[in-house]
Amino acid sequence: MEREDFRSHYSGYDVLDKWSSPDWDDQTREVIRRRLENVPVVRFFTEQEVRTLTAIVDRILPQSDRSEIEKVPIVPWIDEKLHEDRHNGYRYEELPPQRQAWRWALAGIDETARALFAGKAFCDLDVQSQDVVLRHVERGTSPGDAWKIVPAQGFFTSVLVIAIVQIYYAHPIAWNEIGYNGPSSPRGHVRKWEGGVDPWEAQEDHD
Amino acid sequence: MIDEKNNESHLFAPGIHGEQVPMRDLSREEVDFCIVGAGAGGGVLGAKLAEAGFSVVILDAGPHWDPTKDFVSDETASRKLIWTDERITGGEDPVELGANNSGRGVGGSTVHYSMVAMRAHPEDFQRRSLEGEIARAELLNWPLTFDELEPYYEEVEQALQIAGPTNYPWGKRRKRYPQREHELNASAQVLVRGCVKLGIPVAPAPIATLSAPHKDRPPCVYRGFCNYGCTTNAKSSILVTYIPRAIRAGAEVRPNSMAAQIEHDKRGLVTGVLHFRDGGEDLFRQRAKNVVVAGYAVETPRLLLNSASSLFPDGLANSSGMVGKCFMVHSGHQVFAKFRERINQYKAPPPGGALTEHFNRTMPDADFICGYTIEVVGPHPVDFASRISAARGLWGAELRRTMLDYNYYSGIGIVGEILPQQNNFVKVHETERDQYGLPIPHVIFSYHENDRRLIADAKRKMKEILEAAGGADVWTADRMAHLLGTCRMGNDPMNSVVNADCRSHDIPNLFVCDGSVFTTSTGVNPSLTIEAIAARTADRIVELRRHNAIP
Ligand SMILES: Cc1cc2nc3c(=O)[nH]c(=O)nc-3n(C[C@H](O)[C@H](O)[C@H](O)COP(=O)(O)OP(=O)(O)OC[C@H]3O[C@@H](n4cnc5c(N)ncnc54)[C@H](O)[C@@H]3O)c2cc1C
Ligand code: SF4
Repeated sequence: MEREDFRSHYSGYDVLDKWSSPDWDDQTREVIRRRLENVPVVRFFTEQEVRTLTAIVDRILPQSDRSEIEKVPIVPWIDEKLHEDRHNGYRYEELPPQRQAWRWALAGIDETARALFAGKAFCDLDVQSQDVVLRHVERGTSPGDAWKIVPAQGFFTSVLVIAIVQIYYAHPIAWNEIGYNGPSSPRGHVRKWEGGVDPWEAQEDHD
Repeated sequence: MIDEKNNESHLFAPGIHGEQVPMRDLSREEVDFCIVGAGAGGGVLGAKLAEAGFSVVILDAGPHWDPTKDFVSDETASRKLIWTDERITGGEDPVELGANNSGRGVGGSTVHYSMVAMRAHPEDFQRRSLEGEIARAELLNWPLTFDELEPYYEEVEQALQIAGPTNYPWGKRRKRYPQREHELNASAQVLVRGCVKLGIPVAPAPIATLSAPHKDRPPCVYRGFCNYGCTTNAKSSILVTYIPRAIRAGAEVRPNSMAAQIEHDKRGLVTGVLHFRDGGEDLFRQRAKNVVVAGYAVETPRLLLNSASSLFPDGLANSSGMVGKCFMVHSGHQVFAKFRERINQYKAPPPGGALTEHFNRTMPDADFICGYTIEVVGPHPVDFASRISAARGLWGAELRRTMLDYNYYSGIGIVGEILPQQNNFVKVHETERDQYGLPIPHVIFSYHENDRRLIADAKRKMKEILEAAGGADVWTADRMAHLLGTCRMGNDPMNSVVNADCRSHDIPNLFVCDGSVFTTSTGVNPSLTIEAIAARTADRIVELRRHNAIP
C-alpha cells in the first residue's frame, strides 16, 4: 500500500511529555493510561467481521504512514462499545438497534464489494476499489440485500464514519499530530488571544 | 460509617471540595415536594422550597458528581455526563439527542453546558400578539410577562454570579452584572473583528463562570473543558450552586434514582413517585404531597405519558392532549473558517467572551419572523472532527490532512428561534423498552418554513462575519441545541399543560418546572430563563401554600 503523507506542524510535540505536569490530574491519567495500555480484546465481532471492519477503518482513517504497532487502535474500541451495547442517546427511526445495524452493514459492504468486483470480499480489494465501494455506500447507491435492513447512507454518515473519527481523535497520537493541548486540569491557559501560545502548548516547527 | 447505620435518618452527599456533607434521609416520609430531576429547573426550585421550610426530595436518574474526583479532562471519558439511553429520533429533521443537549446526573445539563447566561426579552413573551397568526405554527403568548420575571432573572444572576459587561446593549436596561466580563479568547476576537468591519454591534457575553473569586470558589482558569465538567468549581453549574444550598436547607438529593411513574389517588391527586434505585430492579415509593417533574423536555413528557392510568388514560396533566406537543429546539447552526494566526479554539470557555444579539428580533426587511443570537463556539478535536467530517463529507486521507490545521479554525454559531408546531412532538415508543423496562421516547421534529428561512439568513450572516474577519475555507455545520416545549405554559387549559406558576391545569398538586414549559423558544440560550421561572415558581408555591391552595 502506498504511504500517504500527513506531516504535522508540530513534529517536536508529545502531549504525553505533560503526563506529570499540572495539566494532568490523577483521574485523567487513569483514563488515558487505560486508552494506551488496556486495548480491549475483540468480543462482539466475528473474525470475518473484524477483517472487513479493519479494511474499512484503514480507508476511513488511513494510517499507512505508521507500522501496525504504531497505529491508533480503532476496531477494538468499536467492538467494546457494541459488546457493552453502550448507546449514543439517539437512534434514527430508520436504523435498527446498533448491534444489528453494524452486523448488517458489514455484511452489506461485503455484498456490495462482491456485486461490483466479481465476487471478491471487501478486504481482498485494492484500496481504489475499496473506496469505490465506500463511495457507493455513502451515496446510498450500493447494491445488496443488507441495505434493505440498514439504510446505507444513514449508516455510513451517522454511524460508521463518526464512530471511527471519534476514536481516532481521542488518542494522544492524534493529539500530537494536530497540536491539541490535551488534558488541562488544574492548569488552564493564559495566552488566549489570536496567535497566543502558552509555553506548555504545542509549539510549531519553524521551517 | 458504622455510626450512620445506627442513625438511619442520615446520609452523606459529595460536597464540592471533595468533602462529605451530611444530608437528611426522607425516604420514609411523606414529603411536601418530590422533584424529579436535579437540573436547572429542579435544582433551583428544590433549593428555594427547602429554604422556605418545605420537606423536599429531589430524585435524579444519574450520579451525584464529586467535581474534585469525577470530572475528567477528556472528551470521550466525559460521555458519562450525558443521557445516552436509547431514544428514537425521526421527522424530516431528526434531532441528534444525547451529548449536545441532554445531561444526566445531579446538576442536570448545567454540568456540561456552555454557560451563556442570557435573559429573554419582553417581546419573547408576547409572540402571538406581535406576529399574529402564522400558518402551521402554534404561536401563543406566555402567561408570564418579562416584568414578572425580571426580579427573578436578577435573583439567579446574583446566585450564579454571572460575569458580564457593565453595559449590555440589548433588551431592557439592566443593572451591571455581578462579576466583571471575561477577557476575549481568540475565537471571540475573530467574531468581534468581523462584526466591527461590517458595522454589526457586538458585546461581551454574559457567562456563568467566575471572573473573580466568590466565597469558596476560585475564578475560571480558561481550561476550556466546560462541556466536560469543570474541575475547579469556577463554573456556576447547578451542581455547585443551588444543590449545596438545597442540602444545607434539609433537602434530600437522591442520585441514581430513575422515576418510573407518578402515582395518584382516586380523586386524581398525585401521591408520590415510584422509582428505581442504584440500578436495582425494585421499585421504591417516595410519598409526597406535591410532585414536580423537571426532567427536561424529553424525559418530562415521557414520565407523564408513562404514568397513564385508568383515570388518566392519556397520561397525567394531559386533558388538552398537549403533553409532548410543540417540542422545540434552537437552531444551532455553526460556521467555521480557517485563519492565518493560531486560534487554538479549545482554550477558554466555549462562549469565548463575545456575542451579538443584533439579529435577535423580527427584522423589518427579513422574509422570516423572530431572530437569532450569534455566539462563539470552540469544539475540542473529537467534536470538531465529527463536525467537519459530517459537514463536508470528509473521510480518508482528506480528513486527516484537513485536521492538521485544527488549531487554525475558528467558529461561531447561532441560537435561533424555532416556531412551535403541533407536528413536532415527543411520544412514548410503542414497542421498544429501556433497561428499566420503560417505554422509550420517540421524538419527531421537522423545521417550519420560517425556521428554514431564518437558518439560511443566519448562515449567510455568519459567513460574511468570518470572511470579513479574514477567514478562508468557510464551512457550515447543521446543528441544533436545547430541547424546549412539550408541557407548554399558557392561560387556556385547552391548549397548554401548565399555568404561569408551572402548575398543571388538570392536577392541582402536580407541577412541571424545566425547559418543557417554554411557550415559545426565544432567540437566546434557555438556562437562565428556566432558572428564573423556577425561582419564581418557588415564591408562588409559598404564596399558594399560605392560602391553602396546595396540600
Ligand atoms: C452541551 C450543552 C451546552 C449548553 N450550553 C448552554 C448555554 O451556554 N447556555 C444555556 O442557557 N443553556 C445551555 N445548555 C442548555 C441547558 O443546559 C439546558 O437547557 C438546561 O439545563 C435544562 O434544564 P432542565 O431543568 O430543563 O433540565 P436538565 O438541566 O437537563 O435536568 C434534568 C435532570 O433530570 C434528570 N431526569 C430526567 N428524567 C428523570 C427521571 N425519570 N427520573 C429521575 N431523574 C430524571 C436528568 O438526569 C437530569 O439531571 C446547554 C446544554 C448542553 C447539553
Ligand atoms: S474554562 Fe473555566 S469554567 Fe470552563 S472548565 Fe475551565 S475553569 Fe471551569
